[in-house]
Amino acid sequence: MLELKHELKLEKTRDEKARMNFVSGLRAHVLNDMASGMRTVYDAEVEPAFRRQHKRAPAQGPEVHRAIKPHDCFKFYSSLRVTAQDMVWQSVIPPLERNRPELKGRAAKLAAKQLKGKGALRGKGSLNLQPGFTVPRYVSAIDVHLMAGNYDGEYETDDLAAGSLYDNGLAVFSFGLMGQNLDDIGQSIAGFIKLKFPELKPAKILDLGCTIGHNTGSWKDHFPDAEMHGIDVAAPCLRYAHARAQAQDRELHFHQMNAEQLDFPDASFDVVFSSMFLHEIPKKAIARVMAEAYRVLKPGGLMLHMELPPNSQLSAYDAFYLDWDSAYNNEPFYKPFRDLRPQDLCKQAGFSPKNYVQFVIPSVGWYGEEVSRAAALQPREVDNDKTGRLTDGIMWYCFGAWK
Amino acid sequence: MTRQPMRRTIRGGRPYFFADPAVDKVLNMVVVLASEVWTLRERLLAMEALQVRQGGLAAGEVDAFEFSADDEANLGVQRKEFIDSLFRVLAEQVEEANRVTAAKPPAKASATAQTKAKTKPKAKTKPKAKARSQVKTKPAARSATKSKKSARKK
Repeated sequence: MLELKHELKLEKTRDEKARMNFVSGLRAHVLNDMASGMRTVYDAEVEPAFRRQHKRAPAQGPEVHRAIKPHDCFKFYSSLRVTAQDMVWQSVIPPLERNRPELKGRAAKLAAKQLKGKGALRGKGSLNLQPGFTVPRYVSAIDVHLMAGNYDGEYETDDLAAGSLYDNGLAVFSFGLMGQNLDDIGQSIAGFIKLKFPELKPAKILDLGCTIGHNTGSWKDHFPDAEMHGIDVAAPCLRYAHARAQAQDRELHFHQMNAEQLDFPDASFDVVFSSMFLHEIPKKAIARVMAEAYRVLKPGGLMLHMELPPNSQLSAYDAFYLDWDSAYNNEPFYKPFRDLRPQDLCKQAGFSPKNYVQFVIPSVGWYGEEVSRAAALQPREVDNDKTGRLTDGIMWYCFGAWK
Repeated sequence: MTRQPMRRTIRGGRPYFFADPAVDKVLNMVVVLASEVWTLRERLLAMEALQVRQGGLAAGEVDAFEFSADDEANLGVQRKEFIDSLFRVLAEQVEEANRVTAAKPPAKASATAQTKAKTKPKAKTKPKAKARSQVKTKPAARSATKSKKSARKK
């Protein structure tokens, strides 16, 4: 299990650490070994049976889903994946409950701290919460990722428990594939963009739906002269994000805002980024978020969304594999999002189709700096069973457009 | 707001994949139990490593360790008790069958029947137990793999 390094990490007993180790190991087994076993059974039995019956291969993810559903390989994979997902959060809650009383004190001290180093332009990050803010129903109504309480659940005044649950849970969940600081997505992508577009010198960068700011900070690392802002609707995550950034000496500015209606002036950012965000919101909201991104971007600025690859770019089996989360991991908007064409989304928001960009970026944590550097110079196609999938050898997919 | 405990149940429900959701639940219990077994192993290894570090044990001493004959005998008894308690639920069936047999009017409880008891009761109880278990374990006909759509409600 990955140990968080910053000052907000939870004090855990030996047994609590062992339980987390177990869950990480279980998830690695299910997502690597059992997933590839399921694929083998599909190729050997499920797909040939489908062909015999229909005189063709399954054309889309849902057909694969229906064909594989009755098989034990699918049932055990799925049931164990749900169990492991549940155990991720259940392994964190007991030590978190014990740490909660003094976690708030630690966060308050960090918020007041004077920052050091190259990430500190003004010496202090900031947190701007909106009293009376209405969290949209698509966040407040369900527990995404089977995380009880979701991102916005609050259990006391000035609560940040949900942020801690997410940070520590992600450490267990990712079994190392999201980096030591859980920022492999941000580090890989910000590093890639800096290498690929050396002329890009952003003065202001915005991260939409930033939760605990784990990827927000990566942009600050690669563009230390830029003013870095992160927004989210969930107050407990933002409180935690602020303290976390302070603990890591990164000057980041967090705001409670809905990405559908940003409280920033037109043409005020050079880069608007998001990661694993669009698939969490309904289609109508996605269109508004894209339009807002266009509005707040300066001419010549870059909008970039790290996401799961769209179904149109995946084989039927890989589409089924990623859509699993939509059906079984409380991700109701995940498949609807992946059924959209990212090119269309950008065009509808006002971006010129000729300014559309799409990248497949090797995880810097998995492949190292050199591969990342080579990737910046040579474009890659969506690699079906590695792109966007939490598995050994992961690649991150992102799309967007220049304004 | 005063401090309240964090919620642990999932809004939006939990999906099931087997024809009977009880299978998913039992699988969950098995894995949670496996997690506790692993936790014990890590703790034991930590204890051993600590002992070695503090000089109470030499490395490899536990692996080379042999129990005394008395300890071995004692362990044997404990192991048997452990296994019995593990399969307690299966023994219940046999006990029930025995109770039924014993409750029968002792009409033929003659001296000759007693002497034959060594082989007979076994043959009697077995088919009964089997018949009972067949009735009990018939799976409830349920629709397969339930997914939840509550999240989509507006």
